[in-house]
Amino acid sequence: MITFDHVTKKFQNGSRALRDVSFQLHAGEMVFITGHSGAGKSTLLRLILMLEKTTRGQVTVNGRNLTRTSSRFAPLVRREIGMIFQDHKLLSDKTVFDNVSLPLMIAGMRYQDIRKKVRAALDKVGLLGKEKSWPMMLSGGEQQRVGIARAIVGMPPILLADEPTGNLDPDLSRELFGLFRQLNAQGVTVLIASHDLALIRSMGCRVLVLSDGVLVDDIPAADIAGSAA
Amino acid sequence: MTDVSFRRKARAWGRRQLYSFFSSLGTLLSHRVGTLMTVLVLGIAMALPLGLYVTVKNLRALDLQQDEWGTITVFLKSEAREQEALSLAGLINLDLGADAVPVSPEQGMEQFRAASGFGQALDVFEENPLPWVLLVTPEPVEGKEISIAVAALDDWLKDRDEVDFVQVDFKWLQRLAGLLELGQALVSVLTVLFAMAVIVVVANTIRLDVASRAEEIHVLSLVGAGNSFIRQPFLYSGFWYGLLGGLVSLVLFNLSLYYLRRPLEHLLDAYGNNFVVVNIGGAGPFVVLLAGGLLGLIGAWIAVQRYLRQIRDHGMLGRL
Repeated sequence: MITFDHVTKKFQNGSRALRDVSFQLHAGEMVFITGHSGAGKSTLLRLILMLEKTTRGQVTVNGRNLTRTSSRFAPLVRREIGMIFQDHKLLSDKTVFDNVSLPLMIAGMRYQDIRKKVRAALDKVGLLGKEKSWPMMLSGGEQQRVGIARAIVGMPPILLADEPTGNLDPDLSRELFGLFRQLNAQGVTVLIASHDLALIRSMGCRVLVLSDGVLVDDIPAADIAGSAA
Repeated sequence: MTDVSFRRKARAWGRRQLYSFFSSLGTLLSHRVGTLMTVLVLGIAMALPLGLYVTVKNLRALDLQQDEWGTITVFLKSEAREQEALSLAGLINLDLGADAVPVSPEQGMEQFRAASGFGQALDVFEENPLPWVLLVTPEPVEGKEISIAVAALDDWLKDRDEVDFVQVDFKWLQRLAGLLELGQALVSVLTVLFAMAVIVVVANTIRLDVASRAEEIHVLSLVGAGNSFIRQPFLYSGFWYGLLGGLVSLVLFNLSLYYLRRPLEHLLDAYGNNFVVVNIGGAGPFVVLLAGGLLGLIGAWIAVQRYLRQIRDHGMLGRL
């Protein structure tokens, strides 16, 4: 589903964010990327979203080689990816319903269908009653779940999350990861960048470890599950 | 198969347009004061060339036809009698190919009495003081300047013994025509300048609008919005600005016209013209509205394109 093939990303100031990173994510996998801040987790996600271009190497997402794709097609790539942000990135002047419906509006879907799908997505994250609320009226955990509803409303095959539990307490974090696992069970490929090691360990998923832009470890799910037990 | 997918795409496009349409209206309504000020500025900018255009149009309506301008008024010496007047008229007609209409002192007095309003006061004169007059109009010749024909007639008539004085109205009419032509050119120049002003004002307004919604644009593009989806609401906004500006300019213009109509008609009546002030007329208002909307659209396009290019070139999509 997502393949990194000897990917190096150098920024214009010469600093190297990623060095010769190679890995492969299969469809239906749920994988964590971890590492201290500045290790290159965000850069890796930005490459998948076509917010950056690789300096060397190839990134392939959903069968499309992004290195050879014109930036004009970046919107098409992004529509196949549900992205969840640490700071939610909700629009404060739009209601929860309007925020969640954005990807469907962009796709030009019929309003009746949009209504149905938005309600389904909000139901899945447990916020069905909050359609007409404003993001500011919600707690941090609720806002994060609105962000997740927006990411999954278009039923993309891939879900990316950048430190989704960064601002949440342990209980909420655990709940959120449970939600990710549910989505994963329905066939969505999930890639989560996080430094919450304890939580990652408890999930029993494959873990990629980045350090200074180098992929230093790729721990299979079996080993993680073993250590958790 | 392809027909169905095309129709589906067209419908999706239509729904996106609808979304942008309402989104742009919402933005304008949520910033009422800002919108009102921008629209007022645009309205004033558009009212100025509009006003000048209608002014020139009204002056044109004074019906200054070229072939009537060449008429020369020839005053004969007071001792000249009817016979001399008629023979001179015949001579002008035959030799110079110009039209000559003799006006007797009695006719002249009659006309003066009617036009001046002195009426019976003129009966004080025991004897009609007016001389015989000839109204001479050169034959219009294709491709020949009327001023040359008039000058030739003027020279010829001045040398005649029975002629006292030759009055040529041609000069000031020519000057007036020149002024009108200048006015017309001024309308063109002003229209271009103020059209540019409208574009710049809308572009600047939209630029600020875009900047204040950078966050929203950022989020939209993160969830997969293409440039056209981002651009669309701003283009609609630009169109609305221009259209409303056009509307305001029409209102301002008509208010001014209403205020000026009376004094204008009085002034022009004094020049002996039964004058009615002409408005823009016919399709004029629609042209103004459409032109306004179009200029607004251009302004918005410029502003948004610039911003989108900035994002593309400098990767200003910020952090995740």
